[in-house]
Amino acid sequence: MRIVIAEDLYLLREGLVRLLSAHGFEIAAAVASAPELLEALVEQRPDVGIVDVRLPPTHTDDGLRAALQARSRIPGLPVLVLSQYVEQLYARELLADQAGGVGYLLKDRVFNDEAFTAAIRTVAAGGTVLDPEVVGKLMSRRSRDEPVARLTPREREVLALMAEGRSNVAIAQRMFITEKAVSKHAAGIFAKLDLAPSDDDNRRVLAVLAYLDS
Amino acid sequence: MAFTLVLLLVTIGCIAFIVARGAHGGPRPDGPRGRLQGRGWALLLLPVAMAAAAMAGGAHGLAPVELGLAILAIAFFPKLAERLVPYGLFGLAVFGLHLAKMYRAGFTVRVQYLFVHAEAGGWGNTAVLIEAAVLFVVGVWLLLRLDALGAGQVRALAARWLDRRRGGIRTAHALLLLLVAGLVMLLLGPGNWFGIRAFDGLDAAVADLSMTTAALVLIFRSRAWAATVAAAGLLVLGAYGWLIAFLGPAVPGFAYGFSDLHNSPGPTPLWADALEGSLLLALGLWLAPLVMHHRLADPADRELAFRAQQLTKRVQTLTQTRREAVDTAAAELRRIERDLHDGAQARLVALGISLQAAERLFPTNPEAALALVAEAKESSSQALTELRDLVRGIYPPVLADRGLADAIRALALDVPLPVELDIDLPGEVELPVASAVYFSVAEALANTVKHAHARSVRIQLGRVAGMLRAQITDDGWGGADPVQGTGLAGVERRLTAFDGILAVSSPPGGPTIVVIEVPCALSSPKTSTC
Repeated sequence: MRIVIAEDLYLLREGLVRLLSAHGFEIAAAVASAPELLEALVEQRPDVGIVDVRLPPTHTDDGLRAALQARSRIPGLPVLVLSQYVEQLYARELLADQAGGVGYLLKDRVFNDEAFTAAIRTVAAGGTVLDPEVVGKLMSRRSRDEPVARLTPREREVLALMAEGRSNVAIAQRMFITEKAVSKHAAGIFAKLDLAPSDDDNRRVLAVLAYLDS
Repeated sequence: MAFTLVLLLVTIGCIAFIVARGAHGGPRPDGPRGRLQGRGWALLLLPVAMAAAAMAGGAHGLAPVELGLAILAIAFFPKLAERLVPYGLFGLAVFGLHLAKMYRAGFTVRVQYLFVHAEAGGWGNTAVLIEAAVLFVVGVWLLLRLDALGAGQVRALAARWLDRRRGGIRTAHALLLLLVAGLVMLLLGPGNWFGIRAFDGLDAAVADLSMTTAALVLIFRSRAWAATVAAAGLLVLGAYGWLIAFLGPAVPGFAYGFSDLHNSPGPTPLWADALEGSLLLALGLWLAPLVMHHRLADPADRELAFRAQQLTKRVQTLTQTRREAVDTAAAELRRIERDLHDGAQARLVALGISLQAAERLFPTNPEAALALVAEAKESSSQALTELRDLVRGIYPPVLADRGLADAIRALALDVPLPVELDIDLPGEVELPVASAVYFSVAEALANTVKHAHARSVRIQLGRVAGMLRAQITDDGWGGADPVQGTGLAGVERRLTAFDGILAVSSPPGGPTIVVIEVPCALSSPKTSTC
């Protein structure tokens, strides 16, 4: 799997390169600024771009903007955004194009290499991975919108785990229920959010998005 | 005639000499010419003495005694001679007035009065008065110009008089305008006015009415203007009284003020007009400096006093807000230091110890070593979380990345309530102000979530009338007291550093409205922000 890494701090960049190489990922490019990132994403067309939000030249959200720009040129280009902090605002912007293949995680999540590489693979496959911190904030909101308010607590729990990028199997393990029960909850969620039957991964993205937009 | 010519030549000669000599007290050449120049203004005593001698001696010409005394004075007591000149001129002026009065009383002899022939009636009498007035004016001018006897006292008296007349114009002063209006109406009233019949019947009624109305409007709308007009009117009317007292219009039935003038064959009752004129003049002279003081000095003084007051207040505010800003910053640094010391720093130490222990254990007990490494990982993760929270409290990253509008949007997303956003904030807001407003809104939202029992909240952010304004409205219980909580007080302190304000309206039963306003343009470029 080919990966482009954008991280301006040398130690972190090299750490990521080492970690991912050790897990058998091919590093197509490791860059340190937003313009370089955009160029690498567009030219290399990696399976996943791993992007730090804050990059030169302005050291604000250049990385995020470069990733969004790349996705506007190459729809659905899988991008996993890493940051020292997570904002629902950025999650919403990343998910706005409804194309999937988006990840948004705190940098700390790299410590857990298994979960991290799993997240990379989910994003590469077009899934959505949101940091538990974002999801937690998301779920704490009381919504006025009817469809979302109709979800049962159990369904909300399933939706939260979906947003974190977990598969039905993982959700079943986590919630100590059968995979079949998870599928039932998922179907309930899709129905309540008026999501037409389609590719399951895409519906998961849309469900999370519906929750974000509520 | 020959005397007039000589007097004229001597006077012109003296004046020409003084003018040619240039500035008073300038350097002068040695020798007889220099001595003559040193006499300066004293030389004028010569024509004055000549004129006085001529008066005293009737029309017979020069009197040797007076002339001799004048020359001696000029030669040996030039300073004294100089100081005598104005008084000589006053004497001559008074003599002119007296002469005019005598002619009015029936005196008919022609008299040589300086440069003119004085005689009863017609031009001769008028010329005497004009000449007397000129002499009087020149006398006053010289009195003030030269250090004549008593001039200092006169000046001091005038200064004291002006000084006493300080203070505001009151309605009583303005009411004098009614007197002026009444007198003018009397003067212009029905009757013959210099042979012209004017202001009779309806004309007069309309004129009276409009004049009184105008006067009353002026008095009550603008005291200062009414008093100014009254002072000017009193001076003009007073002077006019004196004028007709001495000139006496040859018009039957003419009225000046409250007295009638008749072209009677006997002595005219001029004293009444002179007295009336004097009273009016006195009143005018009493009022004029007051008005002048008000018009010239007072507005500037008031303006200065107002600005001084404003500046003093501003300095007080700045002193206080600066102290608070410094205190807040110091307290903030202290808090950050403590948080780092007890949090991230301590965790990094623990992490180092765990790794050290893992290193030791690794050869003998790899299982335990791995457990310690996992612990170290957990510790570093917690340190990161703590650092993240700390950074959010110092300067929210989203605010640094995206500016105030998006930071407020991000804030709204984290509120576990339905939030209605109304943000219209084009352009940038400087970081310090953005930070203060951000934390203010955050505090207000935190209060709403914690205490208001609200079902929804509305956040408005924009620029209104030169202010950056944020408003947080919730539909909760209300009854919030900004004095109670320390959170809002801290927010308020933070805002005052930018001349900002925080206002809370929270009646029992709600809604609660919190308004935060920071002026966009301030005196200091560092804080002119939005």
